[in-house]
Amino acid sequence: MKNVPGTEGVSADLNPNMSRRSLLRSTALVGAGIGAVQLLGSSPASALGGTINSALDKEIRAMVKGRTIKVGFTPPVLSENFTQIENAAWQKMYEFEKRFGVKWVWERQAPVGDFNAVQGTLGIVQSWISRKFDAIAVCTGANFATVQDLYKQANSKGLKVFQFNQPAELYPVGDLQTVSNIGYDNRWQSGYLAGKYLANTLGGKGQILQIWGPSGSDWTRGRKIGFDKALAENPGIKVVGQADGGYVRDKGFTAAQDLLTKNPSVNAIYGENEEMALGASQAIDAANLKHWDGKSGIVTIGADGLVSGFDAIAAGKLTATVDIGGIDQGQNLIETIFATVGLGQTVTQIINNPTQVVDKSNYAWHKAYAKWALSAPKKYGK
Amino acid sequence: MSEFRSKVSIASTRNRALMDPSFGVVALLALVVIVMSIFQPSFKTSGNATNIINAMMTVSFLAIGMTVVLISGGIDLSVGSTMALTAGVAGKFISYGMNMYVAFIFALIVGALVGLVNGLLITKLAIPDFIATLAMLGIGQGIMLYWTQGVPILGYMSTPYYYIGGLRKILGPISIPMIVLVVVALVVSILLKKTNLGLYFYAVGSSSVSTRNAGVHVGRIKIWAYVISGLLAGIAGIHIAGRTTTIPPLIGNGYEISAIAAAVIGGASLLGGRGRVVGALIGALTLTLTRNIINIVGIASSWQAIVIGCVLIGAVLANRASEMFGKRISERTEKLNKRKVSA
Repeated sequence: MKNVPGTEGVSADLNPNMSRRSLLRSTALVGAGIGAVQLLGSSPASALGGTINSALDKEIRAMVKGRTIKVGFTPPVLSENFTQIENAAWQKMYEFEKRFGVKWVWERQAPVGDFNAVQGTLGIVQSWISRKFDAIAVCTGANFATVQDLYKQANSKGLKVFQFNQPAELYPVGDLQTVSNIGYDNRWQSGYLAGKYLANTLGGKGQILQIWGPSGSDWTRGRKIGFDKALAENPGIKVVGQADGGYVRDKGFTAAQDLLTKNPSVNAIYGENEEMALGASQAIDAANLKHWDGKSGIVTIGADGLVSGFDAIAAGKLTATVDIGGIDQGQNLIETIFATVGLGQTVTQIINNPTQVVDKSNYAWHKAYAKWALSAPKKYGK
Repeated sequence: MSEFRSKVSIASTRNRALMDPSFGVVALLALVVIVMSIFQPSFKTSGNATNIINAMMTVSFLAIGMTVVLISGGIDLSVGSTMALTAGVAGKFISYGMNMYVAFIFALIVGALVGLVNGLLITKLAIPDFIATLAMLGIGQGIMLYWTQGVPILGYMSTPYYYIGGLRKILGPISIPMIVLVVVALVVSILLKKTNLGLYFYAVGSSSVSTRNAGVHVGRIKIWAYVISGLLAGIAGIHIAGRTTTIPPLIGNGYEISAIAAAVIGGASLLGGRGRVVGALIGALTLTLTRNIINIVGIASSWQAIVIGCVLIGAVLANRASEMFGKRISERTEKLNKRKVSA
């Protein structure tokens, strides 16, 4: 998979869920690629000026007959990452509204408080079930088995459940009660990429610190599997310290400060998400240490792919981040919902988007893409 | 006789120290610092000490405010979300082009207003303080989430704010937040020890009925306690916005628990009538030191919550043990002294 962006160094047997169609998709930067839906103007192709077939649009419009599709969107928490995904979804919704005459009812609810709280998500989803929504898009930190039971309930009432940004790869496909999971493989498309990037940048030798999310998080579990594989392939890279940064900048900052005090001559810091990586970057400044300038200093890498992260890369405060394809997720989510709810098509259980390590060499287009997504012409659900 | 008097004086000082509500945890901290210094050389560096002090700033401000509320017999669960809201006010107003210091004043006003609302809900509408402040926690969070739509507030930092947030130092390891904390601690200590208001806080917390019968306006005193707590949450908000350089809407999540824990570790009573500013600082130091040790030693994150819980219990038990021990020694010393005097 050498020539496929986002999969450098990943062999096919390590990435079983990335189908050939997904690879072609990632190379051409097209969206969901689900049969006829691909012809409907897949997300990045549309954003970059894809071809719209007016005869096809007319036929789809005749099929849809101005139908309203009610979608519930529940991220685990309101944050820049999920706002980006939501705005990308709105871009696609607006496009389909104009082309096919479909109407959208969009409702966003997020549980407040504990990222892993199941009660909040349960209550929200149950409310949508009783209000007869057509589709629910869920990302949750709640226990896997508990939410699958909930999805089963939803299925029995005719409600289609989609997960997004969820580490579904950690569970047997047969146990998934969803219509589809739109996301990426946290192991090989995030953790492994970050570890590989660090190893390549350091020439295969060096000491690193790791700032992880809360213990028990599936995202942490998945990314660690991938990162550990990259470490195993590069035995000259040693982890000399790790701490829990709670996915927030302040805790990431404090954790990195403490670890840097013990290990001031580290070569790199990995933050499992961008906020913690940016906290680590602040810790480097506070300790009067040097950021990576291409030749020396401390390499910092996170994961998310946010405008604030790209700005930090441009300013030299963050070396790199893994863009986890949040915009593609938002776009593909809507394509998948439209394909199944609107057109009655069948989709695959796992749809993985392209991801990529972003650094100074390529951040500009990622930032432009993110800014495009955030400038959705219509805000749904407001 | 004078030798006897000096022995009595030394014994009284020792007994007073033992009976001090924070003595146990101070002794425990001292022991931990000694052990860590021996086994982890990086622990006893000046860099690490500075890290610990900087990291404890936010909780310290909140814990001092919480101590005042606890002394008066209340509790304030809204400090975390108030901190987030005031941070948001400061950050947003600066990003709109307002002068930084004027934005800070607005942030402090918002903090004090939240405290006032808490106080009015509790005293005028007779809503239990737990419920009233829990409601304000939710309202504060909701306002921040609606205002930001989940997107962190950015673009408000400037060179002066880096100093105010403590990211740049003014002299050696000394930062502006350290100076602000010392000033705040002194002012609140003087308020508690030397003013009528401070005296009334303790009186209301010990017995609001007796205090009311003595002619003191209990409701007004309680309101003041919550206003002070809100104001200190405002200071914490200004600080944390400068320290993190970005304000996610839920930045205050969990800080109310840390503030309560710090105050109680420092000797404040959940039943009211007891607490000190220096105790709040000791409590904040205990929590921060625990996390610092966890990170330096490399305790797995799955164990961290257990370790922190055990430290909390240990700290409170240490205080209680030293108090009981001190009381016993004091009683024995008194008996001995009485015998000697009568002899």
